[in-house]
Amino acid sequence: MPAGAANRIVTSRYDGPWSGLALEDWPAASAYLVDSHLDAARAVWAHATQPERETLVASAGRVDAEQAEQFRADGLALVRADGITPATTERPADAGRIWLLTSGSTGRPKQVAHTLESLTTISSPQPPRMWLCPYATGAYAWWQVVTMSLQLPGQDVLFVEPGELDSWPERALAAGVTAASGTPTFWRQALFRSGDVLAQIPFEQVTLGGEPVDQGVLDQLREAFPQARISWIYASSEAGAAIAVHDGRAGFPANWLDRHTAGRPVLSVVDGELVIRSDKAARGMDGDIRTGDRAEIVDDRVLITGRIASDEINVGGSKASASKVRAVLLAHPAVAWASVKGRRAPLVGNVVAAEVVLAPGATATDAELQAWCAERLPDYSVPRRIRVRDEIPMKETLKSDV
Amino acid sequence: MTTLSRDQVREMMGEVLAAQGKELPANDDAQLSEIGFRSLDFSELALRVEDELDTELNFDAPGLRSIETVGDVLTFIDQLQQAS
Repeated sequence: MPAGAANRIVTSRYDGPWSGLALEDWPAASAYLVDSHLDAARAVWAHATQPERETLVASAGRVDAEQAEQFRADGLALVRADGITPATTERPADAGRIWLLTSGSTGRPKQVAHTLESLTTISSPQPPRMWLCPYATGAYAWWQVVTMSLQLPGQDVLFVEPGELDSWPERALAAGVTAASGTPTFWRQALFRSGDVLAQIPFEQVTLGGEPVDQGVLDQLREAFPQARISWIYASSEAGAAIAVHDGRAGFPANWLDRHTAGRPVLSVVDGELVIRSDKAARGMDGDIRTGDRAEIVDDRVLITGRIASDEINVGGSKASASKVRAVLLAHPAVAWASVKGRRAPLVGNVVAAEVVLAPGATATDAELQAWCAERLPDYSVPRRIRVRDEIPMKETLKSDV
Repeated sequence: MTTLSRDQVREMMGEVLAAQGKELPANDDAQLSEIGFRSLDFSELALRVEDELDTELNFDAPGLRSIETVGDVLTFIDQLQQAS
């Protein structure tokens, strides 16, 4: 029985311990295509208590018919709210195997092989907490919260369905939440929309991950929650959880680079890219994992600023960095959120274009923001078009593709 | 498709320059190099036109030309609109 069996989990349809979840007689190798956190939690509990199981959990909406058929051909039965569809290939279950679907930024999500053990990254005792889990079912970050609650006594979880995300601060306050993990976009949106309710939540732990974490959002959270420990975590379904920083500063100390410590991943920067070697990596990822994330050493810190492939904007032969422009916009006192992209234009091929959301009550014109950027950036990096949006956009992954 | 008049485009061109503390002279023969209207400014102007019309201009359509004066810019934008 997992050590966290008595921990309380709360969904829109269930409030009780892990051990109280009702299980059914599902095939040993199953892909659970779920519509709710409750069905996902039941699949997890079955996996955690029946060692012979092989499990994939994903939001039903993420898996199209062709991929579902591929699961069946690969030997997984489909378990949906309305019934079970058997696999088309018979084979014994790969005992203990857990399959994750990556966020699939290009094309169809791909499967990554894990186990409960490789997904469990927090194993030391923690103070009792009620966690908020806003992540999509089956995502790597979702598994992080779930495995922590399964393995560590005192770690209760409130799951929020995607349709309830707008009102999570009220639900969290009512449920007694004291800890939460979310993307910087998730936190920015919450501060923007519901800052007053948010400030009433007695957070002891605030965790960020899934996107580059900038100093601006860390400072906003510190101001809103002066008592909380504020952490950011670098993790991916391929590399596992590799970096955890708790000092309230963006980036991680440069002296962590190329350091060999037992049980810890080795971090390197190669040609401006973060490279990780970790024993928490997915199966088949035993060597150096090139993360595709841009890493920059500034003074005593290593800052992770964006994706290499999408960061560079070629403006008439000059290379503008979308993440740098974004950082400058976010440093403007009136800007709550910013996204920077290239936009096709005559003569120079592309120009830098931005979308921003202003802080509640703040005012700034696009000309003022351009002037702010012009004082801090080379000419070609200044956004030539700035669109002011009313709301911070957020996808099911809690990210906003900035 | 709706198009913007030469005067409307001229006004936008003035806005691009004004954001940099520069002024657009009334004379169409004014040299771009003298008023400090550069490639990036031209690109921004084209995007302002696109946004105003809510359509994409076909930047590849007009052939090669020499754009040296304010009048050249206005003519080129006009041709971009006609070609789209």
